[in-house]
Amino acid sequence: MSKKPLQVLEKIRENLERLNEKMEIMIELQKRGGRDVQPLPEAPLDVMTLLSMPDHLRKTAMTLCRLGQATAEDVAEQTHRARAVESAYLNQLVVMGHLKKERRGRKAFFCVDKNDQG
Amino acid sequence: MIGLGKIVAVHSYKGGTGKTLLSVNLAATLVKQGKKVCLLDLDFRAPSLATIFKVQKADYWLNDYLNAICEIDKVLINLSERFNGGGELFVGLANPATEAIRDMSAKDRKWEMRALGRLLALRNSLLNDKGFDYLVLDTSPGLQYSSINAIVSADLVIVATTFDRSDVEGTKRMLRELYDLFEKKTEVVVNKVLYDASLKSGKDELQTRIEEIHQVPVLGIIPCFCDVSKAEGAFIFAQEKPDHPFTKILNEVAKNLENIKA
Repeated sequence: MSKKPLQVLEKIRENLERLNEKMEIMIELQKRGGRDVQPLPEAPLDVMTLLSMPDHLRKTAMTLCRLGQATAEDVAEQTHRARAVESAYLNQLVVMGHLKKERRGRKAFFCVDKNDQG
Repeated sequence: MIGLGKIVAVHSYKGGTGKTLLSVNLAATLVKQGKKVCLLDLDFRAPSLATIFKVQKADYWLNDYLNAICEIDKVLINLSERFNGGGELFVGLANPATEAIRDMSAKDRKWEMRALGRLLALRNSLLNDKGFDYLVLDTSPGLQYSSINAIVSADLVIVATTFDRSDVEGTKRMLRELYDLFEKKTEVVVNKVLYDASLKSGKDELQTRIEEIHQVPVLGIIPCFCDVSKAEGAFIFAQEKPDHPFTKILNEVAKNLENIKA
């Protein structure tokens, strides 16, 4: 019985997170001025691309390169920034075509290049 | 298993500053001090470790590892027998064939991205699983893909530099516009310095001057030794000449390296 309110809260949190992610993607697309809701074509995340990125995105991207595949929480643990902040940056990198995102159950996993993940 | 090893990239702005001399002799010094070291030749444009270590033929090259043709253990050559009673030395060689050099120069961005992933994976396969204490990456000078990949993969970047004006200016720029952006721990080794190694006071002033110029710590100052040039790379100096001042400086650099937190 005591678990039920916790489960409800967890569900609400999960839904809020998904909503947040969708909003982040919409904001990013709006910034680009495009009506097309498709992400940009795949753009390899090589070191020259990393060099040309703004500092805040580079930190997130480099951390993901090191981790291979990770959730926003894993990245936040390494960068010591808030999970929501990392989630926003990771989704921004997905929209830019640098990262891939895959949902497994409740969690969203991000990776640089699916073909290269062991 | 989590290893405590370090990945050290040796890089420079210009060619001819002594990167390979430093990489090879530093690796040899660490081995003499009982460490398990892996030295990788990431200078795919001008490979040199095969000649320095007198390895005529390799079944697999580092090129093959980055091309995902084989795993890293197929590439590594165990040269520990050459260091009696010390630690262990393994080397991974870049293919010196002209065709291989041409092939590596023509890789696209996607390949370079995957190469970075394979370099980053060496932390697990070599440091954590195989228990190496040091992974030393000898790189190409300047802003080459393979060098920047090595820098991104490393815990520490040692920049080999000289007092040549264009080298000083280029190194300063590279420290600000490359290493700072990747938030890399960086130290400099100034090579070919014209001063008497026996004069300690002169060395302290020089160190302060270098730190003022580059705004990063100085890991070592190596005077211009004619004996080193005369050796023509025919043997590994730190191994063959244990009492030479060059070797003593390398011993000090290796000791300092041990104290740097990755």
